[in-house]
Amino acid sequence: MSAAATTIAPVHSEALLFWRRLARNRPAMASAVLLAVIALLALLAPAFEAALGVSAARTDLFNQYALPDATHWLGTDEAGRDVLTRLLYGGRISLLVGLVSAAGAAVIGTFIGLVAGYRGGWLDSLLMRTTDGVIALPLLPLLIVLAAIDLTKLGVPDSIANSEMASLYRIVFIIAIVGWTTVARLVRAATLSVRTREFVRAAEAMGVGSATIMLRHILPNVVSPIVVATTLSVGTVILLESVLSFLGLGIQPPVPSWGNMLTNAQELATRAPALAVWPGAAIFVTVMAFNFLGDGLQDALDPRATRR
Amino acid sequence: MRASNIVTAAAAAALFAFSGTGPAHASKDELVIGVSQFPQGFHPNFASHVTLELILGMSRRPFTVYDPDWKLVCLLCEVLPSRENGMIRDWTTPDGKDGLAIDYTIREGATWGDGVPLTTKDVLFTWEIGRIEAAGINNQELYRRMEKIEAQDDRRFTIFWNKRVCEAEAINDFDIVPAHLEREAASDPAAYRTRNAYDSDPTQAGLYYGPYRVTRVDPGATIVLEPNPTWWGKAPHFRKITVRTIENTAALEANLLSGEIDYIAGEDGISLDQAIAFEKRHADAYNVVFKPGLFYEHVDLMLDNPVLQDVRVRRALLYAIDRQSISTRLFEGKQPVADTGVHPLDSVHTDDVRKYPFEPETAKKLLDEAGWTDIRGGIRHNAKGEPLRIEIMTTAGNRVRELVEQVIQSNYRDIGVDLRIRNQPARVLFGQTISKREFDSLAMFAWFSSPKNVPRTTLHSTMIPSEANNWSGQNYTGYRSAKMDEAIDKVEVMCSDADQKKYWTEIQQTYAEDLPALPLYFRANAFVMPPWLKGVTPTGHQYPSTLWVENWTAE
Amino acid sequence: MAAFLTRRLFGMAVVLAVMSFVVFMLIGLMPGDPIDIMIASNPDLTPADGARLKELYGLDLPLWERYTNWLGAALSGDLGFSRTYNRPVLDILLPRLGNTVILLGLSSLLAIFIAIPLGIIAATRPQSLLDGAINLFCFAGISVPPFWLALVFILLFAVSLGWLPAGGMGNPSEGLFSRLEFLVLPVVTLTIASLASYTRFARAAMIEVLRQDYIRTARAKGLGAGRTVFGHGLRNAMLPLTTIIALDFGSLFSGALITETMFGYLGMGKLIYDSILGNDFNLALVGLLLATFVVLVGNFLADIAYAVLDPRISFRSLEAA
Repeated sequence: MSAAATTIAPVHSEALLFWRRLARNRPAMASAVLLAVIALLALLAPAFEAALGVSAARTDLFNQYALPDATHWLGTDEAGRDVLTRLLYGGRISLLVGLVSAAGAAVIGTFIGLVAGYRGGWLDSLLMRTTDGVIALPLLPLLIVLAAIDLTKLGVPDSIANSEMASLYRIVFIIAIVGWTTVARLVRAATLSVRTREFVRAAEAMGVGSATIMLRHILPNVVSPIVVATTLSVGTVILLESVLSFLGLGIQPPVPSWGNMLTNAQELATRAPALAVWPGAAIFVTVMAFNFLGDGLQDALDPRATRR
Repeated sequence: MRASNIVTAAAAAALFAFSGTGPAHASKDELVIGVSQFPQGFHPNFASHVTLELILGMSRRPFTVYDPDWKLVCLLCEVLPSRENGMIRDWTTPDGKDGLAIDYTIREGATWGDGVPLTTKDVLFTWEIGRIEAAGINNQELYRRMEKIEAQDDRRFTIFWNKRVCEAEAINDFDIVPAHLEREAASDPAAYRTRNAYDSDPTQAGLYYGPYRVTRVDPGATIVLEPNPTWWGKAPHFRKITVRTIENTAALEANLLSGEIDYIAGEDGISLDQAIAFEKRHADAYNVVFKPGLFYEHVDLMLDNPVLQDVRVRRALLYAIDRQSISTRLFEGKQPVADTGVHPLDSVHTDDVRKYPFEPETAKKLLDEAGWTDIRGGIRHNAKGEPLRIEIMTTAGNRVRELVEQVIQSNYRDIGVDLRIRNQPARVLFGQTISKREFDSLAMFAWFSSPKNVPRTTLHSTMIPSEANNWSGQNYTGYRSAKMDEAIDKVEVMCSDADQKKYWTEIQQTYAEDLPALPLYFRANAFVMPPWLKGVTPTGHQYPSTLWVENWTAE
Repeated sequence: MAAFLTRRLFGMAVVLAVMSFVVFMLIGLMPGDPIDIMIASNPDLTPADGARLKELYGLDLPLWERYTNWLGAALSGDLGFSRTYNRPVLDILLPRLGNTVILLGLSSLLAIFIAIPLGIIAATRPQSLLDGAINLFCFAGISVPPFWLALVFILLFAVSLGWLPAGGMGNPSEGLFSRLEFLVLPVVTLTIASLASYTRFARAAMIEVLRQDYIRTARAKGLGAGRTVFGHGLRNAMLPLTTIIALDFGSLFSGALITETMFGYLGMGKLIYDSILGNDFNLALVGLLLATFVVLVGNFLADIAYAVLDPRISFRSLEAA
C-alpha cells in the first residue's frame, strides 16, 4: 500500500495545476458554464411548464404555429405545443443519450484498453485487431441494422422492449457497443506506459492480484485520456442521435429529442423555419460546447501533448 | 497567406464555375416529373409499386380500369362487356360451380413498341405464366379464378371464371406481357423472375404498347419515356417525359422550386401538410391540386382486448377524437372526415349511418356507463381498480400519423383515458404486429383500394388471421358479425342495382354501429403542377392519372 | 514486403468473413420480411400467395441454412440476386460504388487541400486570433447536423440563388464533366464534416515539427518562414495526417449516406440503407461487405503511403505494430 500512497501526492499537485490551466482556457470555461446552464434549464423543464402555464405534450390544434409571446416564449409547433418546454424536455433526452452512451462506451473501452495494455501478448493482439476491425466498419449502415432488429427475439423482456422509452435504451446501447474504440486505444497506450512504472512493479512483487492492480493502480493514472475522449464523444453522440432521427431510427415520438424535433421541422422548413432553428441551434451550441470543453480538458491535462 | 489565397480562389471558382448554366428549365415539349421513390423492378406482374404504376400508366394500358370519375372503362378492349350486350354469360364450371364467361376484343391497332401486333397469343401466354406457381406472380388469386381462356381469333377471346361475382368484367390487373419477347425467358418458370426482359433490359421497345415507352433507366434516379411510334391513340404532346426520383421530400420540393423538376406527382410525391405549406407560399407560381382518394385512414381496434369488447368504450373513443379539427387544422379541410370505409365519391356510399361528432361529454358518459367511473390522477379506473390504459401503434417515421396520434393522445387525456404511443417501422408493423394480430389495442394505418371494393378480407368473420388459417385474411380486429357477414356475402353476388344499394348500405350502417375500427379521414394526394401543364386529372384511386397521359399538354 | 502483403490480405479476408456472418445474423433478427409487407400493402394478395412466395425466395428456411447456402454460392462466385431489383447484386452495386468513390475521393482531396494550409497557418501563429478563428470554424463544421447543412445548402445555392442543381446526378452518358456541377454541393457538405479533424491534426503535427531543432536552426539562419515550414515541415506533418485520413474512411462512408440521401446522389450508402430497410438480404449483405472492403483497402493504402513518406518505417516494423 505504501507504494500506492507515494503516487497520490503528485496526483494532487497535478490536479491543482490542471484546474489552473483549465481556468485560464476561456473557451473551455465558457463552454462548461454554458453546458451547466443548458443542463439546469433542461432539469427545470417541469418548473417552466408550471410557471408559464404551458405544456410540452398537450396538443392544441387551435394554436398552431403561434408566434412567440408572453406565455409561449418561443411560440408553438405544428400541433400547438409549446416550443420552449419541448426544447427543454428534448434537451433532457438528448443530453441523457449523449452522457449515458458516452459513459457506457468509456466503460467498455477502458476495460478493453486496460486488459489489452496490462496483459499484453495474444490477448492484446486479439483485442487490438478487434478494435481495428470495428473502426474499419461502415458504422452508420450497421447502426441502421442494429436499430431495426427485434429486441424480443434477443430475449429482452417485453416490458422494456415495448415501452415508450425503448428507442432511448436501444440508442444508448448500440452507441455504447460500437463507440468504445477510441477510449480503448488511448487507455491501452496509457496503460503500456504506466505498467512499467515502479509502483506497479512494487504491487506485483507484493503479490497483488492483477484485477486489483488494474483498478487501483493503473486506472487512476489513465483517467485523463478517458475524460477527454468521453467529453468529446458526448457531442458526437448528440449529433449521431439527430442523424439517426433523420433516418427514422432515433428517439421515437411522443418523447421529444432535439434530433427528432429537427427532423420533424425539416419538412416544414419553408412554413415555419423557427421550428427548425431552435433544435438546430440547441444541437449546434451544445455539441460545440462539448468540443471546446474536451479540447480545453486535453490542454489542461497534458499541456505538452499536441492538441487533437 | 499564400496558401489561404489559393484556398479562397479555389472556393470561389467552385462556386461560380457553374453559375452560368443555371437550373435546366425544361422546354415545354419536355416534362420532368418528380416522385419520391424509385420502382423496384419493372415487371408489371412481379413488382407492386406506386411509382411503377405511374410509369406503366404511360407505357401500357390495362384492358379495363376505373376512370377519373370512378367509372369502369375499356382501354385495351373495344367494348366493356355487360349482360345487356351479351358479352357476360353464366357458365358452370366442370365441377358444377357457378361461373361466368366474359368476352373481350382487343382494341384495333394494339401493337407492341417493336411493331409486333398485340394479340390473343399474348393474352394466353400471360395467363399461362400466371397459373404456374413456380413463376411467382404476385397476384395469383386472379389467375386461379380464371378457369380457362379461349381465343376465337387474334383479337377476340373469352375468359371463363370459376366464381360468379358482380363486376367480374373488371380485369384491371390482368397485365399482358409480350409472348414474342418473354416466351424463352419463361421456359424455365422458376428463373423467369430474374430473367424477364422487363428487369434485365427495361428499355426494349417491344415491352410497351402505350403512348410512351421507356427509353432510358438510371437505376435509383431517372426513367426517361419517349413517344411510342406504334401507339394506337391520340399522339401525346410531350416529346420526352423524365421521371426523377428524389427521396427526401424537402429536397424534392427544393428541386421543384429550383426548376430541376416541373411537376410533383400526387401519386408518390410530398406529404399533404408539406403541400399545404407549399401552396401558401407559391400559389402564384404553381397549381396545387388536392385530390381526396381511396386511402382510408383508420384505427383498428383489437377486439380481443376485454376493454375494447364493450361497444360503449369503442364509441366513446370515437366521440372523444376531434376529427373535424384534425381535418380543418392539420389538413385545411383537404382530407374529409370519414364515417365508414366507403368513400363519399363511391357510387355505393350512403350518408345514412350513425355519426360521431366531437362530443367529449358523450364520451365521458359512455365510459361511466361502461364502468370506468373512478378517476384517479386524471385516469379512469374500473371497479377492479384497473386503469383505462390503451396503446396506439402506427408506422414510425410517418410524421403526419405521429402528429395525429399525439392529438388523439391529448383528446383522450381529457376524458380520462391513458393512451400510450408505441410505433414501429413499417416493415415490423405490417410484417408482424398487425398481420399477426399482435397489437394490444389500437393500430393506425390506411387501406388503399379501388372503387366498390367489397370489404370481405377486412370485415368478414372468416378472414380473421390466425395460426390455424396460416394468418390469412385482413380482419385484424377480430370482428365477428353475422349481419356483416351476410351483407358481404350478398353484395358480392346479388348484382341488381336495388340489391347492391341495400347491402352496401347495410355494410356501412353495421360498420358505423359496431365500430370494429375508428374511421378517421380519407387521405388526399397533392399534385403540384406548373400553371402551363394542362390535362392532368387526378383519379383519387389506385389507378394513376398517367393512364390518360396523352391528354397532357403545355400551354 | 511479400510477407507483409500476404498477412494484410489474410487479415482483410478474416474481417470480411466475420462481417458476413455477423451482418447476416443481424439482418435476420430484423422482424417482418418483404413478402409480409407486400401482402399488407396489396389487398389482392392472399396469405397463400405469401407462403408460396416465401418458399420461392427461400425465406422459409432457418437463418443458419440460409447463411451456409449463401456462403457456398458466394465462394463459387455467385453473390446472388437483389430481391428488389431482380438483378445480380454486383450489377447494381458496382456503378454505385464508383459514384461513392468519386464522392469520397473528391471530398477527401478537397479536405486535405484546405486542411493543410489552414493547419499550417494556425500552427505558425498559435494562440493568435487567426488560430482561434480557424479552430472555431473547425468545431463549427463538426457540430452541425449534416442533413441540416445539406438542406441549408440546397435552399441557398439551388433554390434562392439558382447557381447549382439541388440534387441528382446529371446524365451519366454525357461524361464526367457534365456531372461536376452535381457534385459540388455533396462534396462540399461532406468536406466540411471531415475538414475539422484534418485541420486540427495538421496543426498539431506542424506545431510538433516547428519545435524540432532543425526548424529552429533554419529559422535562426534567416530562412524565410514560409520556406522553412513548407520545405521541412510539410513532409513530416503529412505522416500523422495520412493515418487519420485512412482511419477516417469508415466515418466518411457514414457521412456519405446522409449526403447521398439529401442530394439524391446514387451512391452505395443510400443503396445499403434502402436494402437494409427493404430487407433485400443479398444486396444489404454484399453492400456492407463491399463498403468494409473499401475501408480496409483505404487503410492498407494509407500504410503503404506511410512507408513511402517516411523512410524510417519499413514494412517489417508495420507488421509488428
